[in-house]
Amino acid sequence: MDFLGEGLRRAVALLFSGDVEVYGIALLTLKIGLIATVLACGLGIPVGFVLATRPFWGRRAALTVVNTALAFPTVVVGLLLYGLLSRRGPLGGVAWLYTWQAIVVGDVVLAFPIAAALAAAAVQGVDPRIRRTAETLGAGRWRTAWTVAREARFALAAVITTAFGHVVAEIGSAMTVGGNIRGQTRTLTTAVALYTSQGDFGLALALGLILLLLALVVNVALQALQGRGHA
Amino acid sequence: MLELVGVRHRYDGRVVLDIDRFAVTPGSGIAIVGPNGSGKSTLLRLLALLERPSEGEVRLDGVVVAGAAPRQRITLVEQRPVLLRGSVRENLEFGLQVRGIGRTEVNRRVESVAARWGITPLLPRRRHELSDGELQRVAVARALAVEPDVLLLDEPASSADRAAAQTLYRALAEERARRPLAVCLASHQLEDAYRWADDVRALAEGRLSPVTPENLFRVELPSSGSGELKHVRVGTIEIAAATDKTGPAILAVPPTDIFVSREPLASSARNMFTGRVTRLAHQRPGTVQVTADVGVELVAVVTEEAARDLGLTPGGPVVFSFKASAVRVF
Repeated sequence: MDFLGEGLRRAVALLFSGDVEVYGIALLTLKIGLIATVLACGLGIPVGFVLATRPFWGRRAALTVVNTALAFPTVVVGLLLYGLLSRRGPLGGVAWLYTWQAIVVGDVVLAFPIAAALAAAAVQGVDPRIRRTAETLGAGRWRTAWTVAREARFALAAVITTAFGHVVAEIGSAMTVGGNIRGQTRTLTTAVALYTSQGDFGLALALGLILLLLALVVNVALQALQGRGHA
Repeated sequence: MLELVGVRHRYDGRVVLDIDRFAVTPGSGIAIVGPNGSGKSTLLRLLALLERPSEGEVRLDGVVVAGAAPRQRITLVEQRPVLLRGSVRENLEFGLQVRGIGRTEVNRRVESVAARWGITPLLPRRRHELSDGELQRVAVARALAVEPDVLLLDEPASSADRAAAQTLYRALAEERARRPLAVCLASHQLEDAYRWADDVRALAEGRLSPVTPENLFRVELPSSGSGELKHVRVGTIEIAAATDKTGPAILAVPPTDIFVSREPLASSARNMFTGRVTRLAHQRPGTVQVTADVGVELVAVVTEEAARDLGLTPGGPVVFSFKASAVRVF
């Protein structure tokens, strides 16, 4: 058990040492996490709205697809993206393999179904009278959607939190398409995996703690936003 | 004019509304009465353009409604209305803001409708700070703030006591006197419907039929009975009604469904009552309204020729017969 205590002491020391590498990894993870969350939620939440509110042919099948995609293994997504982005792949021309942009793409692919499925559930959870009330008072499609979103704000905030949590905790895709290149594509999760395998438990633990801290900060920020108004 | 034409509406393949034609004319006051599950709310949602009929058309001023834009002329207040997030004032402003009305006019209309409906003190409140009755008044005021051509109300007095219901109907009458406004409300309170509306329609199992104010009885339907035939005591007689409903209800016997004779008839009619004619009235050309005391007062309508042939006179003997299936239950 000694190595755990030692690891923890090393982690705290590293956190307060201002280690450039540690904070570089944390900042890259935050950047990738925020960009991927914004993109995934920006696309997924409207799709969730449509799935929840607009009757169309194949809606149920689309919901099933989105719900199934929730269980997509991250490493498989990474593998597929690797095939697309590798030099011989159809998207090889963009030269994104082993860049942070490739990690963002992988994270968006993984977080999109989360955002869509949970947003659909959030909107379906809103009292249908809210939507009818907005419509009967003359609101158009967008204003009605906004009114429903205001009612579902807590659930939608949870969608964003979940998407962010999934993105920053993901490793399979980040490792496969990012390559875990020091100073370029090394994220908190890939770094934790690397340092653990190298036996540097203290550094791995420090990075793990930072990861938890990031998730905590984002959650607190979202809760603060939610708390700015009540019913 | 708002019309439903040839409407058949289905939920999960089951026909819930089957209406050849139903029109809400400008300035009219229509009440739709019917038991729970008869299709009243669905009918109102179709009229409010919140749902599209599975078959048939909704027309506004003779034009088939295609998009959502005509919704701005029609407003529905649901049976259990909800307030949107925000204060009562913000709720009253909502419909005006989506119409792009300027701030000054929004304020003027909100203050005006709040004063008319006695909800000015409620303006800063939020939904959890309102009673059911206050919520109902706010919802009606919110609907009226946008000055619709047609106001649809689903059971507006369901959560109100008698006094509050009367206040609501009085305020609605004042609104109609103030500006051209057609009101179509759904209710299971037949008495209120007659007191308030120009036209009363019955909705049963998705079909509309006219209802007249005669022969209405408030009863308690027993849970026992042979199949769907129930015997209900009304005054000193027992009326047989074909219904599977139980509990409090209103029985209506359409005067045109009553056979009038001098002697008891051998027939399939489950209801046959002997009494004396109390009044004969010529309401429409060619018809006579026969009022008789048969244990309770019942009204039947016969042709002048039939009344003459039967030799009906006030105080004379009469027999009223009608089928159990002719009795409407609300």
